[in-house]
Amino acid sequence: MIETLGFFATSWLDPYLLMLTALGTFAGIYIGAIPGLSVTMAASILISFTFKWEVNEALALIAGVYVGGVYGGARTAILLNIPGAPSAIATAIDGYPLAQKGLAGEAIGLSTVMSVIGGLIGVLALAVAAPLIADFAIKFTSREYMLLGIIGILLVGTLSGESFAKGAFAGALGVMIGMIGLDPMTAETRFTYGSINLMGGVPFVVAMIGFFGVAEALAQLEHLHVAPIKQKVARIVPAWSDVRRYLGLGLKSAGLGTIIGALPGTGGDIAALMAYDQAKRSTKDPEVPFGEGAKEGLIAPETANNAAVGGAFVPMLTLGIPGDAVTAIIIGALYIHGLKPGPLLLTDTPHLFWFIVGNLTLANLFLLVFGLTGIRIFTKVVECPRAILIPLIIILSAVGAYAIQNNPVHIAWALAFGVIGYFLKRYGFQVGPIILGVILGPMIDANYRRAMIGAQENVWAFFYDLLSHPISFVLTCALVFMCVTQLPFIKRRRLRP
Amino acid sequence: MKTPETLRPGERLFALLLVVFAGYAFWESYGISGFRGLATGGIMPMLASGVMIVTSLVILGDTLRKPRATRSGVTGLIAYLFPLRVVLFTGLVAAYVAVIPSVGFIPASFGLLFVAIWALWDKGPIWALLISILSTGSIYLLFRVVFKVVLPTGSLWQ
Repeated sequence: MIETLGFFATSWLDPYLLMLTALGTFAGIYIGAIPGLSVTMAASILISFTFKWEVNEALALIAGVYVGGVYGGARTAILLNIPGAPSAIATAIDGYPLAQKGLAGEAIGLSTVMSVIGGLIGVLALAVAAPLIADFAIKFTSREYMLLGIIGILLVGTLSGESFAKGAFAGALGVMIGMIGLDPMTAETRFTYGSINLMGGVPFVVAMIGFFGVAEALAQLEHLHVAPIKQKVARIVPAWSDVRRYLGLGLKSAGLGTIIGALPGTGGDIAALMAYDQAKRSTKDPEVPFGEGAKEGLIAPETANNAAVGGAFVPMLTLGIPGDAVTAIIIGALYIHGLKPGPLLLTDTPHLFWFIVGNLTLANLFLLVFGLTGIRIFTKVVECPRAILIPLIIILSAVGAYAIQNNPVHIAWALAFGVIGYFLKRYGFQVGPIILGVILGPMIDANYRRAMIGAQENVWAFFYDLLSHPISFVLTCALVFMCVTQLPFIKRRRLRP
Repeated sequence: MKTPETLRPGERLFALLLVVFAGYAFWESYGISGFRGLATGGIMPMLASGVMIVTSLVILGDTLRKPRATRSGVTGLIAYLFPLRVVLFTGLVAAYVAVIPSVGFIPASFGLLFVAIWALWDKGPIWALLISILSTGSIYLLFRVVFKVVLPTGSLWQ
């Protein structure tokens, strides 16, 4: 117990880690708030600079950026009616009308306090649930890991895109990119076309930077001259009576946000939208109607999206399946540091797990401090024109792509991925499943081959193994259910009133 | 995300290109180890490209059912997919990537920043120059001095 507390407090007691967490949270608020910059983009670029650092230092900075970034989007949603991040889309619905009524300061204060409460509940859920899930997941074999990997990619494809087919295509494309290079089992070349550069494979950080950074920068060119509407900000610290009054709703939304965040493939954006919908249904007589400045409509999504952060870490740390795009990147960071997220992470490196729990708690406390201060400087910074931001994103992406292996070819690859990502985005494809495919593809490949060798390369024995073991049976059923429910005639029947 | 009721410009052609690409990917995957065994290096690429073929056919089928967009044809496609600003900016970035090995990262980045900010922002060259100098200086300090990241040096200066 004392030892666990020591691990938990690592970043609280080490001044350098404390500073990195504070810096990450502070920067995250601005990154999340500035339209055009995203937490995913920032995290993917940060990995390439921090991979030589100690793992604790890198995680302190990235986790701070994650926590701050999820919250930061709310500020621009309230002040400018431009959600800085997808997780703040629901916040703008009632946050901006509140600002128009001259209550911008109050709205920001309330959203800050509720975000922190949500964030802390998410972390508590991580601390309680992860060890239990890891104990269970220790029974997993290569069959289960293969199935979990496929389910993870498909869930992202199902939940985040226009159609299941587009999500599955993107996921499979990611797996193909992940296969480039030498086969780790037989050293056969795959899609290398004689290029020495391709033999080492495509570093997933390069793919991430291209698909998230460069593609986003190109897509942002369309919104170059969107002028924000400014609001006056008065008192920020919310009234205690307000916090007490909405605490019940906040706790409910936090619970919902944690569960949704823990589902692989979902994230703060879906958690926030679902919590908003839930609040709208469950609030009988709001003081102000929803959509016109209801405080319930501000509190529910803000609590849920921050609670989803802790939730997203649960499958990532226990099963090695990321809860959302940012945790997919954090998985990458752990791999780079020689760690393998999964059930053994908790037993082999408990210090790392409790460090993450402690660090997320600390980041939430910093969020409270930074969220309730510095608002005037903030309003100036977020007005930074896209004409400056977009070329800067390209340059940061170039440094990030180069720094991972000091290879200038990777800058060109990131640009190529960016252009492909731009085309795919224009036609309604999400890039999240591609990145998950790149990361999870090699894991799925290795586990599939182990499972197949275990079945002596007999396809019937392979399927018999899948269906005769309880855990893989449940996972296979889940996979089949996911695919079947996406069939056009089933979908039409489900949508019929 | 909601699927639009009508086709986006060039969407059907794009879907067709995806089918062709998926087919090519399958062919290349087959070339790795064929059907020699069920646990060979080529199996997962074949499965992934097989999924790509099936899903791209579904996507193509969806586009065949949808009515055309109002701005279809080559003009609509160019306006939708290749706006001049995107094409020129991508060209500029490609040139930036190409010159980094010869002129080095810092001078190339300064050039990209100056040209891009001048072209995209309506404040004139002086502002673009000032911001480019400030940004390049900050990037150098942050990455080279603070993070100790090795930045590409140009062959011209060696």
